[in-house]
Amino acid sequence: MSAITEGDVTALTDDADSSGQRAWIITKHLILFAVLILLWELAARAGWADPLMFPAPLGIVKQIWFIYVVQQNVWFHLYTTFAEAMAGLFFGSIMGIGLATAAALSLRFREYIKPYIIVIEATPRIAVGPLFIAWLGFGFSSKVALASLVCFFGPFVNTLTGLLNVDDEAEEMFRSMRATKWQTFWGLRVPNSATILMAGLKLGCSSAFGGALVAEFISANQGMGVLMSRYTYTLNMNGAFATLLSITFFAFLLFKIADVIDYYTVYWRSDSLMQAKSKKRKAAFLKAIAQN
Amino acid sequence: MAAVAQAVASSKVAVGDTVIQANNLTKAFSESVVALENASFKIKKGDFVSLVGPSGCGKSTLLRLVAGLIKKTSGNLTVHGKEVTEPRADTGMMFQRPILLEWRTSVENVLLPSELLGKVTNEDKRRAMGFLEMVGLKDFEFTFPRQLSGGMQQRVALARLLQTGADILLLDEPFGALDEFTRERLNVELMRIVSQFKTTTLFVTHNIQEAIFLADQVHVMTPRPGRLAKIIDVPFARPREISLQLTPEFNKLVAEVRDVLGGDH
Ligand SMILES: Nc1ncnc2c1ncn2[C@@H]1O[C@H](COP(=O)(O)OP(=O)(O)OP(=O)(O)O)[C@@H](O)[C@H]1O
Ligand SMILES: [Mg+2]
Repeated sequence: MSAITEGDVTALTDDADSSGQRAWIITKHLILFAVLILLWELAARAGWADPLMFPAPLGIVKQIWFIYVVQQNVWFHLYTTFAEAMAGLFFGSIMGIGLATAAALSLRFREYIKPYIIVIEATPRIAVGPLFIAWLGFGFSSKVALASLVCFFGPFVNTLTGLLNVDDEAEEMFRSMRATKWQTFWGLRVPNSATILMAGLKLGCSSAFGGALVAEFISANQGMGVLMSRYTYTLNMNGAFATLLSITFFAFLLFKIADVIDYYTVYWRSDSLMQAKSKKRKAAFLKAIAQN
Repeated sequence: MAAVAQAVASSKVAVGDTVIQANNLTKAFSESVVALENASFKIKKGDFVSLVGPSGCGKSTLLRLVAGLIKKTSGNLTVHGKEVTEPRADTGMMFQRPILLEWRTSVENVLLPSELLGKVTNEDKRRAMGFLEMVGLKDFEFTFPRQLSGGMQQRVALARLLQTGADILLLDEPFGALDEFTRERLNVELMRIVSQFKTTTLFVTHNIQEAIFLADQVHVMTPRPGRLAKIIDVPFARPREISLQLTPEFNKLVAEVRDVLGGDH
């Protein structure tokens, strides 16, 4: 009994503490950020830095406004890169999770794929880009291929680790209850690997944009990578920075979405989520046993 | 509750019949690591047997052999007259750690054995609720393991063990990780439960007092190689009061066990 109340109390005070503290931390960060931006702006205006190479913040903001609202050409490129990254994330994770699952289930399969995995791991993935373009052309598919390859490892390694690193005693307990291999897999291994699997997917999210962009740098006629190359070639540094910031923003957004999905999937890390689940399951359970 | 009691003690075997029998049972993990050597014993239906001995003397090994989790090297081991080759439906095991599934509520954890057997009926669910009440967890049926104390988690594990319907309970230091107060209380509750269900119980512990207090028979084991050194009968009727531990008769048995184990216990 005491455990519950104790848990609750600390949870509450923790939250109160951290929300007050967090506000202060965020304020400090914002102040520092504002100062840095201001210094940069001043430096640009005073001519300390070459304005051609290091454009002033205000100029970048104006350029962002220009490409998104006035000219609106960026949307098309953004859509292209986003689609490539998402498709890459999708195929890369499916492959990673699929192969890891097979490897976790079969020792023999694990032994067979091991050398290939090691070789791929040692190869700088980005360097495969030109090959993909030679094989698949300048279009969408070569970009997706590189993004998939770059995304593959996070989900693969984490899924395999999660599925294999199961508590021996827990497995023994399942065995003592005469569970089949599949029951142990679904009932123990899979949920047990949820945390680390989600972490792998988050890694994949961060890599996806990088893969798509690099493929575009190598050769493409649309996408944020193309836009950025164009701006830098013509020394439109405002444009280059505006593009870079856009990519950062959207990659960050994707990462945050994955974070939220992670939070709700692995609900047993959060007191408030567990409480909500408890309530729901209790209602359903009591309703079920009230009938015959 | 009566229905619950019946469901557990559903074996057709009468009290007093031999349930577990070992003859020269040996388990060697390698040539040099002989975890258990030539153990011979009989355990009767409804008996509570404590296995006591220092670390590494093969207590867990013996339990896991009976559970069918590992294979013997030589000798014989039968449960209900049948050689043990794999985990049986009528044996259930409990470990030092509760090993609950964090993503399941207490009652969902208790229902795991029913789930593994097939579809979970409402009857199973009611039974699980009954067991949780029996182990003192009424009002905690829908709490997640992380929100429970160690003692409460071990209670959930006990309820889960009862839910398996096993009438041979194999307990490997089930309360060894808990503080002394909690352990004492759980021991008393365990004694009540096993008496009610008339289960045959094998209970591993490091603690001599605990071993004697709970058991009809204490199997004293010694290490390197793991041997069953002596079997001591405990004459007191069950269930027992805590105060029994203060009596001279009780302490005579303690001395007897200690004698077998040698000075360091
Ligand atoms: N899977 C295994 N592989 C190899 N050796 C093992 C294995 N399990 C146990 N042993 C060895 O067998 C011996 C007996 O181990 P066991 O776990 O049965 O002891 P125990 O009496 O339960 O000890 P404790 O009180 O510490 O739990 C030890 O020497 C141990 O190292
Ligand atoms: Mg042990």
